[in-house]
Amino acid sequence: MSSSAAAGNRRTHALRIAALTVIATAIALPLVIFVLGPNMPPGKDTTAGVSQVFDNTVLLVVMTPFTMFILIFILYTVLAFRVRPGDDDQRDGAPIRGHMPSQIAWLATTTAAVLFLAIFGSAELLASNGSGGGEGPKPIAKPSGSAFQVQVIGQQWEFTYRYPSYGGVETAQLVLPVGQEIEFHVTSLDAVHSFWAYELGVKADANPGVDNVAFVKVKKQGTFQIRCAELCGLWHGYMFDTGRVVSQSQFATWIAGQQKTFAGSQQYLPKYSLTYTPDPQDRAG
Amino acid sequence: MSELASHSTDYSVIESEPPEVMGRNLRVGAHLWSSATAFFFVAFLFTYFYLRSLNNHGLWHPKGVKPPVTLGTLIAIAVAVSAIASLAAARRLRAGDRGAFRSLGLVALALGIAAIVLQIVVFSTVGFGPTDGAYASVFLAWSGFYMVFVAGTMYWLEVLLATSFRYRSQVASEPGEASGDPDRMGDDIARPLSLQSPGADAFAFTWGVLAGIGVLTWIILYLI
Amino acid sequence: MKLRRLIGFNLLTAVILGVIGFYVGWWLGTLFKGPSIDYLGDTQQNDVSLFIGYFTGVLGFLVGLGFANYPVQRMLGKPASLRAKETEGKARYFGLCTDHKVVGIQYLIGIGAFIFIGGLNAMLIRYELITPNQHAWNGNNYLTLVGLHGTMMMGMMTSGILGPFANYLVPIMIGARRMAFPRIEALTFWLLMAAGAILMTAIAFGGFPTGWTGYAPLIDQANMGVDAYIAFFAIVGLSMCLLGLNMVATVITMRAPGMTWGRLPIFVWGQFSTAILMLLAPPVLISTLLMVMLDRTAQTGFFNDQIGGSSYLYENLFWFFGHPEVYILALPGMGILLEILPVFTRKPLWGYKLAVSGLMGIALLSWLVWQHHLFMSGINADLRPFYMLSTELISLPTGFIFICALGTLWAGRIRLTSPMLFCLAWLFNFLIGGLSGVFLSDVPSDVTTHGSFFSMAHFHYTIMGALLFSFFGGIYFWLPKMTGIKLNERLAKAHFWVMFIAFNSTFGPLLVIGFLGMPRRAVTYAGYLQGANTWVSVSAFFLGGSMLIFLFNFVWSLVFVREPAGDNPWNSKSIEWQLPSPVPVHNFDRIPTFGPDPYPYGHAGSDAIPPRPAVAPTRHTQ
Repeated sequence: MSSSAAAGNRRTHALRIAALTVIATAIALPLVIFVLGPNMPPGKDTTAGVSQVFDNTVLLVVMTPFTMFILIFILYTVLAFRVRPGDDDQRDGAPIRGHMPSQIAWLATTTAAVLFLAIFGSAELLASNGSGGGEGPKPIAKPSGSAFQVQVIGQQWEFTYRYPSYGGVETAQLVLPVGQEIEFHVTSLDAVHSFWAYELGVKADANPGVDNVAFVKVKKQGTFQIRCAELCGLWHGYMFDTGRVVSQSQFATWIAGQQKTFAGSQQYLPKYSLTYTPDPQDRAG
Repeated sequence: MSELASHSTDYSVIESEPPEVMGRNLRVGAHLWSSATAFFFVAFLFTYFYLRSLNNHGLWHPKGVKPPVTLGTLIAIAVAVSAIASLAAARRLRAGDRGAFRSLGLVALALGIAAIVLQIVVFSTVGFGPTDGAYASVFLAWSGFYMVFVAGTMYWLEVLLATSFRYRSQVASEPGEASGDPDRMGDDIARPLSLQSPGADAFAFTWGVLAGIGVLTWIILYLI
Repeated sequence: MKLRRLIGFNLLTAVILGVIGFYVGWWLGTLFKGPSIDYLGDTQQNDVSLFIGYFTGVLGFLVGLGFANYPVQRMLGKPASLRAKETEGKARYFGLCTDHKVVGIQYLIGIGAFIFIGGLNAMLIRYELITPNQHAWNGNNYLTLVGLHGTMMMGMMTSGILGPFANYLVPIMIGARRMAFPRIEALTFWLLMAAGAILMTAIAFGGFPTGWTGYAPLIDQANMGVDAYIAFFAIVGLSMCLLGLNMVATVITMRAPGMTWGRLPIFVWGQFSTAILMLLAPPVLISTLLMVMLDRTAQTGFFNDQIGGSSYLYENLFWFFGHPEVYILALPGMGILLEILPVFTRKPLWGYKLAVSGLMGIALLSWLVWQHHLFMSGINADLRPFYMLSTELISLPTGFIFICALGTLWAGRIRLTSPMLFCLAWLFNFLIGGLSGVFLSDVPSDVTTHGSFFSMAHFHYTIMGALLFSFFGGIYFWLPKMTGIKLNERLAKAHFWVMFIAFNSTFGPLLVIGFLGMPRRAVTYAGYLQGANTWVSVSAFFLGGSMLIFLFNFVWSLVFVREPAGDNPWNSKSIEWQLPSPVPVHNFDRIPTFGPDPYPYGHAGSDAIPPRPAVAPTRHTQ
């Protein structure tokens, strides 16, 4: 085959790949935006969840054209340029060592995509008060105004919860009032755990001696799963719980009941504090 | 059949390796080993500054934890002078003066061993233990592992000096002599004694970097 | 076998001296007593003896193999030499051999055996996860299985391509007869084997509950079995560091005339970029593990926040090693991919310079991303956007690799042999792996996916889907050169298809399961995920079964059928295929001189372009 005919042949292949990519993307994008995206985990019942779903949708949208292109390219070339049985499979292919326009186009589009995602992700993180993730003791993305504080204490192998605005009462159940900014303070008494409230879209590691803050506002009442997301020893697999989100009045009733139940044992607990030191240590000096 | 190689074992065809090859490898190897060593101590450097900035429970450096500054300074001096002596020794060897290499090398070796001995003294007389705060832990671990590296590097020096002493009245050794196999194959090193100088250069570089790390250790653990 | 050989320095002596060394060390440990090394305090466990025992055991093992002979000779003043190499006999493979080709094959078998064990562990894990409730293993055993699987695989696969393939091929591809430091090369292999044996002893000491990441302070609290994990990783770290040092030095100094940096085969660039990381990252790991050892034995306070230490210190130190570590896993496979594609598309590598920048760019950027493993841990929140950016940026050089692969496929004449199939699967699997990585690198998205099976599926797609597939591609491609015998191509393709389909059937759903809320390393999970998990477990069993196809092929072809492969069964123009199969001991009669084109394909209509190198028969290295 003469080289110009071969080049023309290749141009046809290139146009076909481009066309297939455009068609595939055109089919996939609406599916991603309208079908997959809104149903992405962890669900839209909380502010954190909403921001994560939106974020995941944007990620999917940006990834789709690249994915379609690469998959179609591989499939097409393998099918179109395959040596047919009976053909001379020792003959060489075209001596193409590179193609500057393609390289530049690839570099430009991938760089733009990456920079966009990084900037978008940062903006989304700040706009959603940390998107439910643990931000450490000095969070930078926080809601304006006050928030309802709940402390989550992880220990091997149980989560317990303290409510500072209710006298530091420690409960075995996590119950939250709906429609309010919640400020989680997550800490640990021993190993590293991780407080993962799945439907809330909250995850914050629990480190001993550290106060890890995460924010969320829950929009719907219901129950949610809590699981420990950091291997913490023998019964890590059993460190799970179910939390509830209830109306303000139900919460008030519940917490009053908890205070009454634990009034007797409250005196044996350490005072509420952002971190705890389980054993008194006086090793040096 | 390949024109590049055959399965023949006629080693008259295969030339023995010129010492420049191994000399190059020693030089590059010394640089690479030094960079790996530096990264080993970077971990301690990070640990020092990170735990100091966290100061958990105020227990970074409790009162009463005092490092022995005199001993530590002596160790730093011993290490630094030893490295300088090694660099001088390598330079003398490059100029052909094998006697000066041996003398300066012995001085460097003695100082290096003295540093290790002094460090043992530090460990037995220091007034605090590993549980006395994070600084104490870093101090003991960092100085201890540093001496392991010093010991290994002194072994290298001993090897160079031993070879120099063994062949002090000879110009060269036969190839394959060290391997002890008189039927050695053709790809052994021709003129292995000529590797002394590249070896000394590589050693001096390695020891110089390690001594530099030692001085940095002294500054961070004792002075700051 | 001669009696002298049996009582000389060989594997048998090594094992005996290793065991003796262990017991000597254990006894030495019992002599340590002191206020902070009161090991029998309240835990009644003797970590000091175990650590010292492992150390002296490894020393005994190495002495038994003969590694001490040369250092002792040098101490007595004998000059340097290249150890005389035995030229024949299968006995070379069972001891200290400085022939880089022997070391390569030793690595292949040794790593293969340990990966097989790690894979069995995975099957046992998936067996447990068929049902949401604990039914197969008790808590400690389950966590030990998880830890053993991860640790064994990570420790072995980091040297998984450099050990077998780079050791064998790099000297040949650059026109050298040996690696820069042949004895160190042999040492790295035997250190790895000793480490593997040590890890298996974890079972004898009660297993370990920390997983392969060994987070403090859990690792301080754990029982004696975790000392095996610590010793394993420290020794593996040393082996990796020395392997990297050897590889970098070799590529820098041992290139033949004409082999400039711009003419290196891309395979060599892949191993070189990896080797730089292998040289510099493991020392940080070794340092960290030594700190853990001191925490467990001498009661230091590195990771105990009550004495001024911090769990964050461990996370930072570990992942500063850990992230370059995973690129150590990813890069060699890229080298294999881009090396094999030209052969089976019969075109030059597309975008050689771009590919090299991709490989070196990944190596460089891998140092700057480690805190993305700590996004949810409560680190300084100001840092997260930076690490999000750096992590997203690393997908750029990775994209270079993709575009170069795609360009090589373009307008080629593609032969779908088994190595080629594994390469194409690499592209598919790494695409999914890489895209799932983009989700994980995005902090809001990471809130749900961190620590879940999504994260686990991501790294299995990149480490197993890409690396292990390129490992098998490399085996099918280069084993004919190493042994002179061809593996059965139909069985190879059967292996490929079962493995590829089973792999995606196992880990594809796990991406979804992770997003649906299943955390890693937990022996129980929510009931609504049972169907999916059962599907995954059954697929995993098929995946394990595909390895049996490979094993059968391996043994059947090499031991029974033994069909000669010829010198160049794939008709490649790369230099190793211009040598006899298997490659002779001395590699080349004369050191070759290389011509300018690493991939002299692509002159349509003619195979007359000579393969590399252009040999100048009268040129010697003097």
